[in-house]
Amino acid sequence: MTIDQAYSYLFFVALIVFGILMAVTLIRCIIGPSINDRILSINMIGTMVVCSIAILSGLLDESWLLDVALVYVMISFLAVIILASVYIREGRRKAAASDKETAGKKEEESV
Amino acid sequence: MTAEWIRFWIIAVILILGLIAFILAVIGVNRFSFVMNRMHSAGVGDSLGLMIVIIAMIIFSGSVMTALKLALLVVFMWFTAPTATHFLSQIEFYTNKQLEDHVRMKKTLESGETAPAPEDAESRGREDGD
Repeated sequence: MTIDQAYSYLFFVALIVFGILMAVTLIRCIIGPSINDRILSINMIGTMVVCSIAILSGLLDESWLLDVALVYVMISFLAVIILASVYIREGRRKAAASDKETAGKKEEESV
Repeated sequence: MTAEWIRFWIIAVILILGLIAFILAVIGVNRFSFVMNRMHSAGVGDSLGLMIVIIAMIIFSGSVMTALKLALLVVFMWFTAPTATHFLSQIEFYTNKQLEDHVRMKKTLESGETAPAPEDAESRGREDGD
């Protein structure tokens, strides 16, 4: 076995393991009870994709794939931040509304 | 010839260590019962696993430019992963109504009460049991 074959076997095994791990994380994304679980799983799948792209650039000997990985990191971060800010705004609005309701009830009780 | 093989085995061991970190993170994400615990477990893969895999690829890559790009990936992930975790915990804080069943929170200053005594809080944490 030459050294190139050994490297390609090693990287293939690593890529297959990453594929299995991504599938298992996707299960958590599907069954996740809250929105938080889903965003978390997608973030983790993004990290694994970045690792896979880095390994793939070693396997194919193409260094421009790393530029793709850099852009992927930024875009997955952007997706998480935008989804999170949407849900935080929604949750704040609901919390403020429920606070007003409870305050009104207390005032009625005191009167 | 032997030096090449020694480098190969070093890379193989480091890469498999990174895969083990990712496997532990995925097991934690699927097995823990509360969202905050799952976030903690996902952080293992986000920072430690990515760093170890990228170190293996840095040793594999011959040129300096490729190594710098790979190091830049680690720097980006180390800035973005804690920020994303912070935002996710904010979602949990604002959307989960039963949050106090699972975590111990400091009282707000408006209520004018002090935090519960340590023994009291600890026994409460044990009862929850997850």
